[in-house]
Amino acid sequence: MTTTAGALADQLRHLLGPDRLLEGDLARNLYSHDGSIVGGDCGIVALPETTDEVAACMRMAHEAGVDVVPRGSGTGLTGGAVPLEGGLVISLARMRAMGEVDVANSCMWVQPGVLNLDVSTAIAHLGLHYAPDPSSQQACSIGGNVGTNAGGPHCLAYGVTVQHVLGVEMVRPDGQVVVLGGVAPDPPGYDLRGVVVGAEGTVGVVTRVLLRLTPLPPDVRTMLLDFLSVSDASAVVQAVIAAGVIPAALEMMDRNMAMAVEEFVHAGLPTDAAALLLVEVDGTPAEVETATAVVEHVAREHGVRTVRVAQDEEERALLWKARKTAFGAVARVKPSYYLHDCVVPRTRLVEIMEAIGEITEREGVMCLNVFHAGDGNLHPIIALDRSDPDETARAMSAGDQIVRACVAMGGTLSGEHGIGVEKRDYMPLVFDHDDLEAQACVRRAFDPDGRMNPDKVLPTGTRCGEVGLADTQVPEGTWI
Amino acid sequence: MDLRPADRDELAGMLRAATAEGRVLDIRGSGLHARRGHPFTADDVLHATGLTRVVDYVPEDMTITVEGGVTVGEVLRLAGERGQGWPQAPSQPAATVGGVLAAAAGGRRRLRFGPIRDSLLEVVVATGDGRIVKGGGRTVKSVTGYDLPRLLTGSLGTLGVIVQATLRLWPLPMAERWFTTRGDADEMLDLAQGVLADLHRPTAVVAGPTSLHVCLTGVPDDVVAPAGMVDAFEPGGPGAGTVGSPAGTVEASVPPAALPALARQLVADGFDYEAWMGTGICRARVSAPEDVQAVRGMATAHHGHAQVIDGDDAMRTDPFGPLPAGADIMQRIRASFDPAGILCPGRFAAADPVPA
Repeated sequence: MTTTAGALADQLRHLLGPDRLLEGDLARNLYSHDGSIVGGDCGIVALPETTDEVAACMRMAHEAGVDVVPRGSGTGLTGGAVPLEGGLVISLARMRAMGEVDVANSCMWVQPGVLNLDVSTAIAHLGLHYAPDPSSQQACSIGGNVGTNAGGPHCLAYGVTVQHVLGVEMVRPDGQVVVLGGVAPDPPGYDLRGVVVGAEGTVGVVTRVLLRLTPLPPDVRTMLLDFLSVSDASAVVQAVIAAGVIPAALEMMDRNMAMAVEEFVHAGLPTDAAALLLVEVDGTPAEVETATAVVEHVAREHGVRTVRVAQDEEERALLWKARKTAFGAVARVKPSYYLHDCVVPRTRLVEIMEAIGEITEREGVMCLNVFHAGDGNLHPIIALDRSDPDETARAMSAGDQIVRACVAMGGTLSGEHGIGVEKRDYMPLVFDHDDLEAQACVRRAFDPDGRMNPDKVLPTGTRCGEVGLADTQVPEGTWI
Repeated sequence: MDLRPADRDELAGMLRAATAEGRVLDIRGSGLHARRGHPFTADDVLHATGLTRVVDYVPEDMTITVEGGVTVGEVLRLAGERGQGWPQAPSQPAATVGGVLAAAAGGRRRLRFGPIRDSLLEVVVATGDGRIVKGGGRTVKSVTGYDLPRLLTGSLGTLGVIVQATLRLWPLPMAERWFTTRGDADEMLDLAQGVLADLHRPTAVVAGPTSLHVCLTGVPDDVVAPAGMVDAFEPGGPGAGTVGSPAGTVEASVPPAALPALARQLVADGFDYEAWMGTGICRARVSAPEDVQAVRGMATAHHGHAQVIDGDDAMRTDPFGPLPAGADIMQRIRASFDPAGILCPGRFAAADPVPA
């Protein structure tokens, strides 16, 4: 540990006490990882509990010139919360307070460590819920959701995190606390709130989030459709939306995934089908009735084998459990997995599913698919045993080819997981030099010293040019 | 001088030249939102109305990519032919796509469909120094890099000229109708609150001093007149009932629950208004500069803010009111997008470079 880092640790220990400053090897190892396969190097870990403490930590790090990596629950899948070269990890996991629900304005402030599902659970008695529902919602935090602009099955109709975050309180890299956005819509000036959401912790540390709460729909119906071919299922996705119905959720699962999940959850999924669609429609009873009829009609036109309509809340919950525990079920197949989050235009679903099948077959790896079909947001999961270097190499190669195939079909790198470090070097596939430099400038406008979650999101070497910034004295290599 | 580029390359060249020569530009689409922000003096006016190409429309993906000079009416016409719509669009068919995005001027269906910034998937801008920069992506879902589309939405031409936009479209509803009724302001506000409480996701609930307009969208069974209301026969808001001859419009934004109280204060002081119930937005017609401060005072008392969205120079001496936090961040962003400060300088003065 350098003298500067040692002095910072002393200051932080004095501020937080020895229990909330983690310096031991076990903690440093733990905080060097997240839900991804990226491994890093963690310096020290601070566990603040209030905005003031975060601000004090940030001021100290600023004075010491030390890098900061904010962290929520650590469930991210792209290495976004992994510190790469020491520095200070600020974990927001202890900031779990929820403010009072502002029922009249359908919103509430929460601290970033609050778990996603806990929000909806806490407000259900008011007839409200928090719409973005990532599959990891039992474990992932609101702060992390804000960092990655998280999605989830219900984002098809309801929109992603940024559409449900009215405001944020953020500690800036120099320790200053600002509030961006708020209950009153459209404050004057540029929409900085919109930039903070999805910035993956590279612009500051979010310490409170103003969530927009959504009324629970008066009626909801959940259907499971099964098909003998992936292309029939994909065609149904296309045709339902073409018929003017935007379901609340429209999820696909392939046979490999259905088999793994069924063994795990026992939801009665047909394991001999090539593809399953989980379709949920909600709204008024008349809307639900109409949408259900459209879905059934379209499905029958495309050779659906069975249409299973959840008969009660229990069955509905079981079908959703099957969907949301899918990633966990992969553990029954192989000890580890490598997951991508690319998006393709919905019209290319059949093609990309075929391409993924060819790529994984060629590389001799097992691929399970479960994804947000309505959005074209894929989640091909390559199951692997990382103790097998050859299989790991083939899994990496297959993943690389899948990403490139998606981009070649007019798609993009991430729908909801973010770029982190894992997709960082793919950014030039979708953005040219000027595009990336403009993004680097936006980032530097928030973080002039380049100390916030460095080496994430933008490829190494992407700089904000010297355009217009006379006061830039950033040493070579500080900014990425 | 009027500059009328025919395509983005010519436009970018004009920006490079202006940057090199230090000539200040005013950026215009149809001009409908020109009276926003601080008044400023420009050497030339750059009209982006010549960029009228429809670049790509994939109805099956419900995305349309158009150049910035394409009009709202044209997008709605093309989409309508395929049973689709752009529900966040304002009810100004002549407005350009680039213009409404730069002004963040969305329409009355915001209650159900959200602000216009939610409909912008990918944006291409020409920066002040003529670079072509793309942000976002054409898929309906994307978290690939920093959210330039949101940053550009509402930037009033001070970060770049929007030369191309990819919009998310929605299926046209099976049924959509406007309903209306007349009465005094209190009655209208009470009725509006009843509609908001009783109906699941009404599309627009627009209250004025003497009338209420409600838009419902969905399946035919749900699109029926709320109690006490009749078919409006034509879409829109209060419109009529204008008090005096207003010289401008102030858009007040307050927490949605405070809107009825704000509207009651406005009517008590004789202002005509259009309150977008449930959204917190209220457009008040103003006739004199002091009216701006009066409306802003009411909005501020309800923990909101108010901006002049239309008005002559005298009306716009303080168009934004107090700015929220982060002015230094805005300044640095602006400096990187428009290093010579030639894009509408002064219009959003808080983001202009601070004189050394």
